[in-house]
Amino acid sequence: MKREKSDLLQGTLDLLILRTLASGDMHGWGIAQRLQQLSQDVLQVNQGSLYPALYRLEQQGWIESAWGDSDNNRRAKYYRLTKSGRKQLAEETASWERITAAVARVLQHA
Amino acid sequence: MSMTSVLRRLRGSLRSSDFESSMEAEMRHHLELEIEALIARGMNPGEAADAARRRFGSVAQVKDDCRDSWGLRAIDAIRQDVRYAARSLAKYPVYTAVVLLTLALGIGANTAIFSVVHAVLLRPLPYTHGDRLVEVRQQAPRIGVANAGVSVKEIQDYRAQTPTLDTIVEYHQMSFNLLGRGEATRVQTGVVSPEFFDVLGVKPMLGRTFRTDDDSPGAPAVLLVSHSFWQNALGGDPGIVGRAFEMNDRVHTVVGVLPPIPQFPAENDVYMPPSACPFRSNPQTIANRQARMLTAIGRLRPDASLDRVQNDLAVVSDRLNHTYPADYDAAHTGFHAAAASVRDELTRDARPTLLILLATTGFVLLLVAANVANLALARVLGRQRELAVRTALGAGRGRIARQLLTESTMLAVAGGALGLGCGYLVRDLLVGFTSRFTPRADEISIDGTVLAFTLGVSVFTGLLFGLLPAVTRRTASATEAGHRTVGTARMGARNALIVAQVAISFVLLVGAGLLVRSFIKLQQVDGGFRTDRVITMVVSLDFVKYNTANARRAFFKSVLDKVEAEPGVQAAALGITVPLDQQQPFLAGLTIEGQSLGDRSARPQVDIKFASPAYFQTIGMTLLSGRLFTAADDAAAPAVAIVNLSMARHFFPDTDPVGRRVSFDNGRTWMTIVGMVNDTRDYALDAKPTDEIYRAFAQTAPLNATLLVRAASDPSVFARRIPDVVHEVDARQPVSRIQTLEAVRSRSLAPPRLTALLVTLFAAVALVITAAGIAGVVSFLVNQRTTEIGVRMALGAPRSSVVRMILGQGLGPVAAGLVLGIGGALMLTRVVTRLLFAVEPTDPPTYVAVAITLAVVAALACLAPARRAATIDPMRALRSE
Repeated sequence: MKREKSDLLQGTLDLLILRTLASGDMHGWGIAQRLQQLSQDVLQVNQGSLYPALYRLEQQGWIESAWGDSDNNRRAKYYRLTKSGRKQLAEETASWERITAAVARVLQHA
Repeated sequence: MSMTSVLRRLRGSLRSSDFESSMEAEMRHHLELEIEALIARGMNPGEAADAARRRFGSVAQVKDDCRDSWGLRAIDAIRQDVRYAARSLAKYPVYTAVVLLTLALGIGANTAIFSVVHAVLLRPLPYTHGDRLVEVRQQAPRIGVANAGVSVKEIQDYRAQTPTLDTIVEYHQMSFNLLGRGEATRVQTGVVSPEFFDVLGVKPMLGRTFRTDDDSPGAPAVLLVSHSFWQNALGGDPGIVGRAFEMNDRVHTVVGVLPPIPQFPAENDVYMPPSACPFRSNPQTIANRQARMLTAIGRLRPDASLDRVQNDLAVVSDRLNHTYPADYDAAHTGFHAAAASVRDELTRDARPTLLILLATTGFVLLLVAANVANLALARVLGRQRELAVRTALGAGRGRIARQLLTESTMLAVAGGALGLGCGYLVRDLLVGFTSRFTPRADEISIDGTVLAFTLGVSVFTGLLFGLLPAVTRRTASATEAGHRTVGTARMGARNALIVAQVAISFVLLVGAGLLVRSFIKLQQVDGGFRTDRVITMVVSLDFVKYNTANARRAFFKSVLDKVEAEPGVQAAALGITVPLDQQQPFLAGLTIEGQSLGDRSARPQVDIKFASPAYFQTIGMTLLSGRLFTAADDAAAPAVAIVNLSMARHFFPDTDPVGRRVSFDNGRTWMTIVGMVNDTRDYALDAKPTDEIYRAFAQTAPLNATLLVRAASDPSVFARRIPDVVHEVDARQPVSRIQTLEAVRSRSLAPPRLTALLVTLFAAVALVITAAGIAGVVSFLVNQRTTEIGVRMALGAPRSSVVRMILGQGLGPVAAGLVLGIGGALMLTRVVTRLLFAVEPTDPPTYVAVAITLAVVAALACLAPARRAATIDPMRALRSE
């Protein structure tokens, strides 16, 4: 089934989550920390809004989750990129780059 | 959406409590980590907790969004409906309780009866190819023989000449003494062809079934043990295979145990092949075409139809009649062979009763639905304002209808669950009831099909009684609800429900009334004998030890002498049967001296019984002519006989039979008729007496005899004493079937009694439900018209006229229902004709009594609310608006 076009913000968050998970399995808080670090605190989302996105991505089958033990011996729910998630990430990255390049061109030359 | 995600969603929704707790834990974990991180950066714990929560945002909102993402929204809407329905039902506990109880009754009754119908009539027989099994019957309708049995020679003929039957196996039942475990036990023994269990497709639970070589002459005698005998008499011994018992003076070795399946054609303790049965293996039996002691079971070829088998059998029986005319005489006996489906045979007695019960419970369910619909309607009207407010607030009509349906379905399913509980509780009762009609009773269980039926019935009922209020709601609008008016459409619907309820109740009550009247008539039937203070039992002799007629006579004479000498014994007698305890007469061909057979070659058949001198006195029969037997009528004296009235009328019309001579061996020996006694209904109280002739017991020498004892007071004290007396004569001869004649009669009446009882029970439930429905409608009417009644009374209307008005309003639909009910009963009660004895299905007294009962009950149901109307205080009624 074809995926509906997500609005920019949601689509962006999805893309960022997928990209973050591409470098390894992580629990929710870890993803939030990583996003914040990498964007050097530019992307300050409400941490809570991460979760509906995670659940949605899991429903799409792009990520999967499992409960495991975390470093400090607590139970944590870890997310992992699936095969189709990896493909989706590649597609979305490409389309993101196309769009940003286009937008950048417009901004430079208009 | 892909398939996997659908599955994920389904899983998610089915395990939504897991989902919730997992989500909860995940978010808690997140907040903990965040707080720890903030503390590590130098915040104090309080600030850190606040900051973490701020950064996270509203937990409740996030959870909602997560649920949406996961796709629980649709489920949540249903859940909301359910929660709302539960809340609003809890607000009306009495309404809810009444509805639940009514539904539980209705659905429970249907579940219970359906479980019986399913097990007995719908499910295939628990044998491989059970539906292809037929019994091959030889019938002689012109001389009243429905099933003559089959001889060894005949089985061989049918087996060889019926191409549409795969195979034919034989069966007959014997009683033998089993020795080897303390005292002798009388065991019911099924004597069957070695392939019998293969044809039925029964696999042994332990050991093996029979093999062809078990039946070869001189083969060691082997036994198969039934599951219940193994459990009850042999203690479930796992090492039973290989154990030896003594039977008929031979060693019999157990080779296997049967699984717990219904036994066909009858229950037996053990089974043996024909070669082990001393009667069946006797060369004379095998050679005698007329020794019809066997039941023949055939299996249809997969491609054959019952019709073709009937044709084949008719051809064979024609051929037999042609070849051996003296044995069949079809021209006068109507002899022919026919196939009867085993499944139909096993369930034939149960079918009409069960179908009538199913129809009865179906009607009760309709009543229940009507009643609950009525209650629901009243409630919807009572909630008019609430619903109008919800409509005004934007709840769509569909949404409200859905809400009402959710409520009714919830109630119905809950009622169904309760009903299912009732079904479980009455299972044992039902098995007991059903076992009086069919050997399939033990198969009754609440299985998947029954569960599905109950669920289906529940949902159907819920929709039925929920739909009516939901549909009639359309006539109500927000503005209308502001006023206290009665929607005429809804009042009409409620009256129509009352009409239907009264009509259905009428039909059920008439059915019950007919069955009860028929049972009472049956109970009043004079069987021709007295049952009070008589106890009976069977004494069976070992034919090896008692191998001469003299030995048997001596044994029975000393038993009788000893029993007669017992204190408290008024009379004691020996016979061969107990009235009402046998299924089939024991027919023999009769020759009357001086009467030629005319052009017929087959002799007429009469039922032969044995009687010692005190037999007739013991069971209270009357001598009509001549004399009874005396002690002088012994083996050395001339042979004598006594006939019953029916036989005398039949064979000696207009003359006294006393002094005439008859023969049962074609004139080789003769016996003189010395007396005539009254008729007895020996086979069923609702069947005509058969032609019977009694021989003097002392002039016969049977292996099995019935001992009948008339006691001075309670006969049951002899249940232990008399067997002891028998064992004083010979401790190795078993006594069985110890029962009072009263118990035998009562058992023979049990099926009609239980059927009448059940239908009456259901009809009573119907009457109560209907009365409650009428009372509900009338009292609702009074409520709705409080103001109007107040006005009338303020204007001077007397209380009696108010009562009359309300009664008139309430009884109108009742009268209409009665008329409809009479019509319905005339049409429908014809189906119970088969169950009726000496009562017509249009029996006027029953109809009148039922009409009066219903009218009185309906009037009583109206009276309470009508009197309440009369006590309305006009001033308060007017103010209440």
